[in-house]
Amino acid sequence: MAHSAAAPMEQYNYDIVKKFALMTLFWGIAGMAAGTYIASELAWPFLNFDIAQITFGRLRPLHTSGVIFGFGGNALFATSFYVVQRTCQTRLWGGKLAEFIFWGWNGALVIAGLGYLMGVTQGREYAEPEWYVDLLILVVWVAYFLVYVMTLLRRSQPHIYVANWFYLAFILATALLHVFNNLAVPVSLFGIKSYSLFSGAQDAMTQWWYGHNAVGFFLTAAFLGMMYYFVPKQAGRPVYSYRLSIVHFWALSFMYMWVGTHHLHWTAIPDWTSSLAAAFSILLLMPSWGGMINGIMTLSGAWDKLRSDPIMMFLITSLSFYGMSTFEGPMMSLKSVNALSHYTDWTVGHVHSGALGWVAMVSFGSLYHMIPKLWNKKIYSEKLIYIHFFFATIGILLYITALWVSGIGQGLMLRAFDQYGNLKYSFIETVVFMHGPLVARAIAGMFFVAGILLMTYNIWKTITAGQEATAPETAPATA
Amino acid sequence: MAHKKVIDPITGAETTGHVWDDNLQEFNNPLPRWWLWAFYGTVVFAIAYWVMYPSWPTGLVERGFFPGTKTITYKADSGEEITTHWNMRALLAKEMQTDKLELKRKEMVQTVAASSFDEIAKDPEKSQFVLAYGKGIFGDYCAACHQAGAQGVIGHYPNLIDDAWLWGGDASDIETTIRKGRKGNMPAHGSSLSAAEIDQVASYVLSLSGEKVNAGAAKAGKQVFNTKGCSGCHTPAATGMKALGSANLTDKIWTQANVPAAKDTAAKLAAVKTVIHDGIQREMPAWESRLSDDEIKVLVAYIKLLAQ
Repeated sequence: MAHSAAAPMEQYNYDIVKKFALMTLFWGIAGMAAGTYIASELAWPFLNFDIAQITFGRLRPLHTSGVIFGFGGNALFATSFYVVQRTCQTRLWGGKLAEFIFWGWNGALVIAGLGYLMGVTQGREYAEPEWYVDLLILVVWVAYFLVYVMTLLRRSQPHIYVANWFYLAFILATALLHVFNNLAVPVSLFGIKSYSLFSGAQDAMTQWWYGHNAVGFFLTAAFLGMMYYFVPKQAGRPVYSYRLSIVHFWALSFMYMWVGTHHLHWTAIPDWTSSLAAAFSILLLMPSWGGMINGIMTLSGAWDKLRSDPIMMFLITSLSFYGMSTFEGPMMSLKSVNALSHYTDWTVGHVHSGALGWVAMVSFGSLYHMIPKLWNKKIYSEKLIYIHFFFATIGILLYITALWVSGIGQGLMLRAFDQYGNLKYSFIETVVFMHGPLVARAIAGMFFVAGILLMTYNIWKTITAGQEATAPETAPATA
Repeated sequence: MAHKKVIDPITGAETTGHVWDDNLQEFNNPLPRWWLWAFYGTVVFAIAYWVMYPSWPTGLVERGFFPGTKTITYKADSGEEITTHWNMRALLAKEMQTDKLELKRKEMVQTVAASSFDEIAKDPEKSQFVLAYGKGIFGDYCAACHQAGAQGVIGHYPNLIDDAWLWGGDASDIETTIRKGRKGNMPAHGSSLSAAEIDQVASYVLSLSGEKVNAGAAKAGKQVFNTKGCSGCHTPAATGMKALGSANLTDKIWTQANVPAAKDTAAKLAAVKTVIHDGIQREMPAWESRLSDDEIKVLVAYIKLLAQ
């Protein structure tokens, strides 16, 4: 092999990767605990305790920002910096600039999060931070783009590995989305309040162009980048199909941009935008599945690892949930299905089968692979990884099942008529019906949080008390 | 190296020959056939969808060049029949005009609107309709205060099913209550009456509903009741006045002081004293601008039926 020489640890900037990796766990615990708490508030409303700062409305953006941008964002910084260095065989460009990205990003999240608790928000879903935080994020993002591209340009490899295409698409698309969705005018120079440049239907469509592509590029393309490195690495097998990776990469990048309006079916938007988004959502199904096929089929020749390797179980299970939610999504974006599902918990369940099943599981698997290598230690307890895997899987299955019952049940109740054409149920009756599933969902969240706490303990013991690994960098290639 | 054939020893399949990070490689496998055909299938679906529904902003839709094949025909308010490309508003208009259940509902609403409350109560189909339709209206607008079973909350919201009415229980009274709302005020007597007097009046009020209290205090309380302003609203007989919404104090029904929940006489006395001391400020909002005439009619009939 051309580049199989052992690489000394100092060759790469692992320090910044370590920081992002640990911060991933911090935000994971904070964001998921906040989520479990607000899920519990829905099941047992007394938990509001009449304190404005901890009510659902204030904590919910803390939960979503915490898990998407805190947990997911830090996981992406950590893995992208790890992957770009190792697949380019060059040190991260920019020196201290990476430090700035770390402090800038996490600082922005803390400022935004404290603001949410005090009621400071733009009121744009997944883009709640006010203008000053948006500006800080923009600067951080430009730095990220520079560091990433300059590292790619300095690679000592002839080809750019597929994982890097996905990471780069994510960086570019996120910049575009962040800038245009957050175009706003502050009320005064030192005032925290701002108003969006858009209004009415345009505002809604800009918001969901952003919202869905945050899912598409932040939570899908970027994590596919993660998958494309860690699945073949962990399996020790080649990626199933180079050609499929090219085709599905371009198809995915092209299709995603069109579908955001399917979040606005049956509202005051032009009908053609709604129809167009629905059709593109169906077109998106197979490009999405391309990544799943490429990931799962990479195990051919190493299927036994699915039984023996808990990290592989995390990675492959994440791909299964990815396949399921990218099938469910296009179905829900058909107008007739959406008429039932929209405004119900079905949507929330769908998002979580992607967020917990795909994003969190692939991140867990990747961190379990990467962290021992970063610190050059053996994992403290493989058994705890197994237990984490089962806690997480039980949590997800319970979560999405509970919200299928709650969402589809409520949807059916809201459209039920009696023999005289009256609505059969009042709204409050649907709420009473949902109580049971909402309790189950809160318990599911507790399972998932328990899992990440176990993981944090395991990682902590690995770093502080784990055995030194013996020369992991010189492990021979399987070929 | 790029052109040399590299074969994976386990599967015997060809890789692209690129290697990253020690052992990252890619097979040169073709696109899975089923994947490709499924993708073509979604393309066909999308094109069919675009033909059926207006999907591309050609600017020609208004002129009828590419309206999509799935058209909708409905009647405009003027009675004129309109055929248009598929759109949500036309779909709604059409379904409201043709859906069998909706037509049945409209017919029943008209029938009920034209019936007197006695007729509704006597006709099983009409009362069944009112109970079904009213349940939804009541659940959406009234139950938040008066509770899903209309039993109310003592101290806050009146019970609607005990056949005691502060503002009158005739259909016309109930309708006025719903349309205009009500303001129930009783002045606070904490400063106009002494502590002893409040104690005496409370004893008297409890004695009116047959509670066992200190007879001497009750007797003195009657004196206070009639001379210090109570009887002005509650009437000397303490039976209340519909026009003011003042409560009848001689029945065993309590809307403010939670006497039924009190354990002993001292607690009952304390509950009544609090009301006399602090007075009452409560309001029911007016619904006239938020509910249609038909909805109000059904709601009145629904409440009448519930109270029966």
